[in-house]
Amino acid sequence: MGNISWWKWLGVALIIYTFTAGMLVPLQHGIVEVTPRSARTGEQVTVELTGYNCNYDQQSESLKAWLKLDEEKTLGASSIEVLGPRRLAIGFDLPAYLPVDRRVQDFSLILESKEDGTAILPTALLVTQDSIDPEKGIALWVNTAVNDLTVSTGMTFPFRPIIYETIRNTYFHVALWLSMMLLFIAAVVYSVRYVRNPMPKWDSKARAFTSVGLFFGILGLVTGMVWAKYTWGQAWSNDVKQITTAIALLVYLAYFILRSAFEDPEQRGRISAVYNIFAFALLIPLIYVIPRMVDSLHPGAGGNPAFGSEDLDSTMRMIFYPAIIGWALIGAWIANLQYRMDAVREEWIERLD
Amino acid sequence: MQIFNEIAVLLGKEIKLEWRNKYAISGILLYVGATIFIVYMAFIEMEPVTWIILFWIIMLFASINAVVKSFVQESRSRQLYYYTLVNPTALLTAKIVYNTLLLLLIGFLTWGGLSLFVGNAVVNTRPFLLAIGLGSLGFAVTFTFISAISAKTDNSASLMAILSFPLVIPILVTLVNLSKNAIEPLASEGVQSDINLLIAIDLIVVGMSLLLYPYLWRD
Repeated sequence: MGNISWWKWLGVALIIYTFTAGMLVPLQHGIVEVTPRSARTGEQVTVELTGYNCNYDQQSESLKAWLKLDEEKTLGASSIEVLGPRRLAIGFDLPAYLPVDRRVQDFSLILESKEDGTAILPTALLVTQDSIDPEKGIALWVNTAVNDLTVSTGMTFPFRPIIYETIRNTYFHVALWLSMMLLFIAAVVYSVRYVRNPMPKWDSKARAFTSVGLFFGILGLVTGMVWAKYTWGQAWSNDVKQITTAIALLVYLAYFILRSAFEDPEQRGRISAVYNIFAFALLIPLIYVIPRMVDSLHPGAGGNPAFGSEDLDSTMRMIFYPAIIGWALIGAWIANLQYRMDAVREEWIERLD
Repeated sequence: MQIFNEIAVLLGKEIKLEWRNKYAISGILLYVGATIFIVYMAFIEMEPVTWIILFWIIMLFASINAVVKSFVQESRSRQLYYYTLVNPTALLTAKIVYNTLLLLLIGFLTWGGLSLFVGNAVVNTRPFLLAIGLGSLGFAVTFTFISAISAKTDNSASLMAILSFPLVIPILVTLVNLSKNAIEPLASEGVQSDINLLIAIDLIVVGMSLLLYPYLWRD
């Protein structure tokens, strides 16, 4: 065991941490669905709610619910009846007029629970007004301030509609893709070193890092397709992000075909290093610029915000950043084994000659 | 400056060589003409968007055929002779300039040919001229550099396609997006960002190939 370097242990520890924490930490309390989604003014509406990661029947008296119009105007629930551990019936007395000059107004639903924390469903209820009179609406509005919200203290991941539990894929899909970039950068660095000083070990390292990077790229694409199956509806939807990824993988497959075309190791090393540097330079516009300019479903493309600022909370960061480092270290270990094998093979060929 | 003299002499040599045997240029002309005629017979009438896409596909294949010969055609001993005389960067620059001019010619011929048979879909000339100019440069540099790589192998023609098609896709996608502005009377908002992206990619490929060629040529 003595000859395993510290960074390999670190990589294994980080990957074990990624798998255990990434898979075991529960999601926050959330609202999966409410019925009905629409109501009219002046009526008494009872909304049936299905929650997630909650236990309503243990804490029926501490539950509170509000319909939120904007930062100042919220409407408290008139009654809350527990139907089951995950199901509630919440009654609201809607006023005859709303304090807005719109025909249809959307309300968010806030559900507060002492044990499970607060859950919010945006655009939960659409209320249609029969006649519009904001002044009467303001006069009729009975404001119930939202207070005593419980911030859940345990380790949880954010609850996001559509994504739900697949949010854990961040530690695999996104982290694998970023560590693939690190491996490709390492390969380019070794290619540059080979071009400047043609020693066989630089070429061997460049090849090893490129092959592991390609493998991680394929894993990143596959985990992305699994995610797309659950969130976009199908694994492959010809999204620009998927197409540019496939092209990037073709560029690197071509690298290995180019290598196999040469007999002479010096020529193979030099020309494949030159191609590797040239290809990497063109990869940047391909996978980082073009997807941002075309319509896409992927976060961080087609004007969509990148997955990060809002969705990646501090708990997720605690696993996401170690995951990137862990995957990169594991990749470096695989590459390390590959180029050491190369060295051993060279040595034996020399000895046998 | 000696390097500019070398480039000028080498460029003159390329053009003179082309002019004397006229083999490549007439082959390309026939290639473009035949492709346009096939496209015309297959479609007769086409949507402007289809016109743009077909234009760039014809351009792509004609370019790769025109450029692939730049390094393959010359024997190793003659290349060795060049390298004893001139700077490798000058040699590559001369080939890039020559191929850019050749691709510009192919671009305008394809445009003219398509207009003659199918009709001209281009309403807004400025973005289309820019696309042909920037596209010719990007294609010429990428294909010239990749042909220099693939000329080192025995199976250069198929390797040329494998190596260069994935690499030119960023240029091709941006060109198609930019050219789509040419079929509308008014250019859209995104036209400037497409032009900037194309200029950036062209600069990347020019810079990288001039930087890397000195390591590539010696055998």
